[in-house]
Amino acid sequence: MSEQPASYDLENPSEPNFYKAQKGLKSWLFTVDHKRLGVMYLASVILFFFVAGFLAIALRTELLTPAQDFVSASTYNQLFTLHGAIMTFLFIIPATPGALGNFLLPLMLGAKDVAFPRLNLLSFWIYSAAAVMLLCTLVLGGLDTGWTFYTPYSTSTGTAAGLAALGVFVAGFSSILTGLNFVVTVHRMRAPGQTWDRMPLFVWAIYATAVIQILATPVLAITVLLVFIERFLGIGIFDPAMGGDPVLFQHFFWFYSHPAVYIMILPGFGIISEILTVHSRKHVFGYKAIALSSVAIAIISFLVWGHHLFVSGQSELVGVIFSFLTFAVAVPTAIKVFSWVATLYGGSIVYNTPMWYGLMFLWTFTIGGVTGLYLSTISVDVHLHDTYFVVAHFHYVMMGGLVIAFIGGVFHWWPKITGRFYHEASGKLGALLVFIGFNVTFGTQFFLGHQGMPRRYFAYLPEYTTMHQISTVGSYILASGLLIAGFSLAMAFRKSAPKAGSNPWGAVSLEWKTSSPPIEHNFHDTPHVTGSPYDFPEIDKSGRTH
Amino acid sequence: MSAQAYLKGKEIENPVEVHHHVAPVSLYVIILMALFGLTGLTYAVSFANLGPLSLPVAMAVAALKASLVVAFFMHLKDDDRYNLFVFLGTLIFIGIFFGFTLFDMQARDALNDEQRTFVRAEDERNAGNSPAVGISNDPARLAAWEAKHGSHDEGAEGEHAEGAEGEHAEGDKAEGEH
Amino acid sequence: MSDSTHAAHTDGEHNPYVAHHFDNMGQQAGAAKLGMWLFLATELLMFSGLFLAYFICRMWYPDMVLGAHEYLSKTAGGINTCVLLFSSWTMAMAVRSAQVGKPGSKEDAAKIKKYLLLTLLCAGVFLVVKYFEYSAKFEHGMLPGKFYTAHLHGYEIEGLPHIFFGIYFIMTGLHGVHVLVGMGIMIWIYLRASRGEFSHQNYAGVENTGLYWHLVDLVWIFLFPLLYLVK
Repeated sequence: MSEQPASYDLENPSEPNFYKAQKGLKSWLFTVDHKRLGVMYLASVILFFFVAGFLAIALRTELLTPAQDFVSASTYNQLFTLHGAIMTFLFIIPATPGALGNFLLPLMLGAKDVAFPRLNLLSFWIYSAAAVMLLCTLVLGGLDTGWTFYTPYSTSTGTAAGLAALGVFVAGFSSILTGLNFVVTVHRMRAPGQTWDRMPLFVWAIYATAVIQILATPVLAITVLLVFIERFLGIGIFDPAMGGDPVLFQHFFWFYSHPAVYIMILPGFGIISEILTVHSRKHVFGYKAIALSSVAIAIISFLVWGHHLFVSGQSELVGVIFSFLTFAVAVPTAIKVFSWVATLYGGSIVYNTPMWYGLMFLWTFTIGGVTGLYLSTISVDVHLHDTYFVVAHFHYVMMGGLVIAFIGGVFHWWPKITGRFYHEASGKLGALLVFIGFNVTFGTQFFLGHQGMPRRYFAYLPEYTTMHQISTVGSYILASGLLIAGFSLAMAFRKSAPKAGSNPWGAVSLEWKTSSPPIEHNFHDTPHVTGSPYDFPEIDKSGRTH
Repeated sequence: MSAQAYLKGKEIENPVEVHHHVAPVSLYVIILMALFGLTGLTYAVSFANLGPLSLPVAMAVAALKASLVVAFFMHLKDDDRYNLFVFLGTLIFIGIFFGFTLFDMQARDALNDEQRTFVRAEDERNAGNSPAVGISNDPARLAAWEAKHGSHDEGAEGEHAEGAEGEHAEGDKAEGEH
Repeated sequence: MSDSTHAAHTDGEHNPYVAHHFDNMGQQAGAAKLGMWLFLATELLMFSGLFLAYFICRMWYPDMVLGAHEYLSKTAGGINTCVLLFSSWTMAMAVRSAQVGKPGSKEDAAKIKKYLLLTLLCAGVFLVVKYFEYSAKFEHGMLPGKFYTAHLHGYEIEGLPHIFFGIYFIMTGLHGVHVLVGMGIMIWIYLRASRGEFSHQNYAGVENTGLYWHLVDLVWIFLFPLLYLVK
C-alpha cells in the first residue's frame, strides 16, 4: 500500500508514456530506459523461444516412428543441442530477469531506473552478441555436444563447439551484469518506506536470482573458457587423453548449472506469488516464509550439484552427501507451494487467463518437483539416469515451472506493458491447450523413461512407438496453444482493444501506481510506501473481471 | 526517492551519507612495508625445506597479505558492512566449490586406485599403452611407440615433427576444424 | 520530483556529478561501490576455478608440479610481486588524494595524476618482466598442452609437465589481461582527473578503479607463491 498525491491524473498523464517520450530507431538501440530494455528483451526472448520451440517440434516429428525418417542422426544431435542451448542460454535464463525483471523491478521499488542504466544497455548488447555467436554455429558446422558441453566429446568434436563455448561465455557476462545491477538496485534504489518486508515477492525472487547469477555464472565463464582452451591447446585439465579428467569438467559445469536451474525457476516463483495473490485478492499467506525460502533455495542450490554426477564416476561418499542435500531443496520449495495454496484458500478467485496459468503452474511444477526427489535418490537415479524420465522431469520444472509462470506473468503485466487488454477468450483457450498439450507431451515421457527409453536417441525400439506418438501429438497441441496465447497477446495491439487503465486488477504494489504504459521516469511523484504490497482494501469482485 | 531502509524500525543501511573515511598516509606506508616484509618471508621460506608444511605456510602468509590489502587499501575495515558481507560471502561460496570438488577428487582417487575403474593418461603412458602427450611431439619416441603398437593415425601424412608445432596423433582430431 | 523524506547530505544538493536517477552523491557512490564489490566477487569466483584446477593438478601429479615449477624464475616473480604491491600502494594514495582533494584545485588534481601515473608505470614494468618470462618459456618449448616441446630442447621433466605450463599460462595470462584492462581504465581515469573531475565531492571513479586494481594485486599475491615458490 502506498500514498500518492491525489492531484496527478494517472489515467490521463500530462507526460508522454515511455514509448512516445523519444522517437526513432536510435532511441531504442541506445536507450538506457529499463522499460524499453525490458520490452526489447521480451521481444528477443519470445523470438528465441519460438526458434527453439520450432526445433523441438522437428525433434518430436522425427520421433513419430521408430526408424529414422526426416533427419539424419547427426542432424538430430544438432537439433536437440541447439534446442537446449537456445532455450537455456537465450530464453530461460534471460527471460524473466531480462524482460519482466527489467521492466518491473524499478517500478515495484518506486525507483526511476535501475542503479546502472548504461550497464543495463551493455548487458542487452552482450546478450545480443552471444545470441549471434550461438546462432552462427548453425552455419559454421553446427553443434552436437548437447547444451552441457561434456568433455571429452566437446574438446574433440569437429563441430563448432569452440564458438558455441565462447557464445556461452559471452552470454554469461550479460547474465552477471544484469544480476549485479539488480542487487544494487534492490539495495540502494528503494522508495521511501519501501522496506525489505514491504517489497513485493517478485522482487525477492529476482533478488535471490540475481545473487545466484553473480555467484555461479563466473564459474561457468571459466569452465567454458577452459573447454575452449582445452580444444585448441590441449592443456590436459579436462581431456583424459592429455592427462585431465572429464569428471572434473562435470564438477565445474554443474557448480554453475545446477544453481542455474534456480536462476531459471526462482523468478517463476516470484511471478506466481504475484498472480495468485492479486487474482484471489487476498493477502499472501506466509509472506516472510515465501520471501526467505527464495533466499534459502538460492543458498542450497550451491550444495547439490553432485546429483548430476551419480553415475559419472563420482565417489560414492560424495554422492550420498549430495543426495541428502538435494532432498533439502524440497523443504523451502514445499513451503512455497503450501503457502500459495493457503493463499488461494478463502480468496475471492477470479478465473482469468493469468490465474489459469497460475493454477496450471501449481499442478505442473509440483509434479516436476516431486519427480525430482525420485532422481535425487541414488538407487533410483542409477536406473532413471539418461532416460526420458529425466527429460520429462526437466521439462516439468523448466517448461511447466518457468515457462508457464512466464507466460502467466506476461498476461498479468501485459496491460501495464502495452496499456491495453489481451483477448480474454483466446487467452483462456490457449491456456487450456497449453495445459493439455504439455501434460500429454511430457507426462507420457515419464512412462517412456521408466520403461527404459534413453534420451537423445533419434531412433528407438518399436515397443516405445505408441508412447512416442502420443507425446508427439501432445507437442503439436502444446505448440498450437502457445500460438493462440501469442494471438491473444497480439490482440492488445488492435486499435479497438480495451484500455487497461493504471490498475486493472485492483492490485496494491507500486507498479500499478503509475500510468499504463508508464511515463518515462516511472512516477510523476516519488511514491511513499506505507504498507504491505498485498493489503487489499476489501474483497470486492465488481470491476475486476472484464 | 531517498532510499532509506529500515528493518523492524531500525536503520540497516545509510545510503545518504557520503563515506569519508580518510586513513593517514603513515598507515598506508606501514601496510606497504608489512607487505614487502611478508613477501620476503615467503621468498625466504621457499628455500627452506618444510616438506608438507610448505603449502599451508605459503597460503597462510598469502592470506595475511591479502587481508592487509583488503582491510586497508580496499577500505573494507571501515566500509559499509554489506560490502564486507559480499566479500566474505564470496569466500564461503569459493569454499563450497573447492571443498566438494577436492573432496570428491580425493575420495575418488582412492577408489579408482583400488578398483582400476579410471585410468589417466600418465598411467597409460607408463604402461606403454598410448602415445600420450610429450611422446607425440617427439619423433624418436613416437616412432618407437608406433613400432610397438602400429601406426596410430593412418590418415595423417608422414611425420614432420621437426619445425612443426608438434600436433600429431592426439592433436589431429582437435585440429581438424581449423 | 517531490521532496525527499530525509534531508539529503549537503554534498548532494548541488553536485553536478549526480545522475538523474539518484538523489545524492551518497546514494550514487554507495551504489557504484556496491556494484564494484559485486563485480569483484564475480572476478574472485572466476579465478577460483583456475586455482581449483591448479590444486587438483597438484593433487594428481605432485612430483610433476614440483619438478616443473623449478623452471619458473623466482626472481622475476619476486620482482613482479614487489612491483604490484608498490602499485597497490600508489593506487591507494591516488584514492586518498581524491578523497581529500578540493574541487577545482589544480594542485590536488596533479597529486591524483602523479599517483595514477606511478601506478601505470608499475603496471608497465610488471608486463615487461612478464614479457621476458614468457619469451624465455617460449624459447625453451615450455608451452601449454600439445605445443609443449621442452624435451626437444633437452629439458626432461618427469610426468606430464604440459599440464603445469598450461595452467601457468592460463592463470598468468588471464591475470595479465586484467592488468592490461586495468591500465586502460587508469588511462581513462587519468584523463578525467586532468579535467579536474575528482575531489572529495566526487571520487567514486578513482575509488572503484582502485578496488579493481587491488583485486589484480590480490590474485597475484596467491599466484606468486603457488606457481613460483611452493614446494
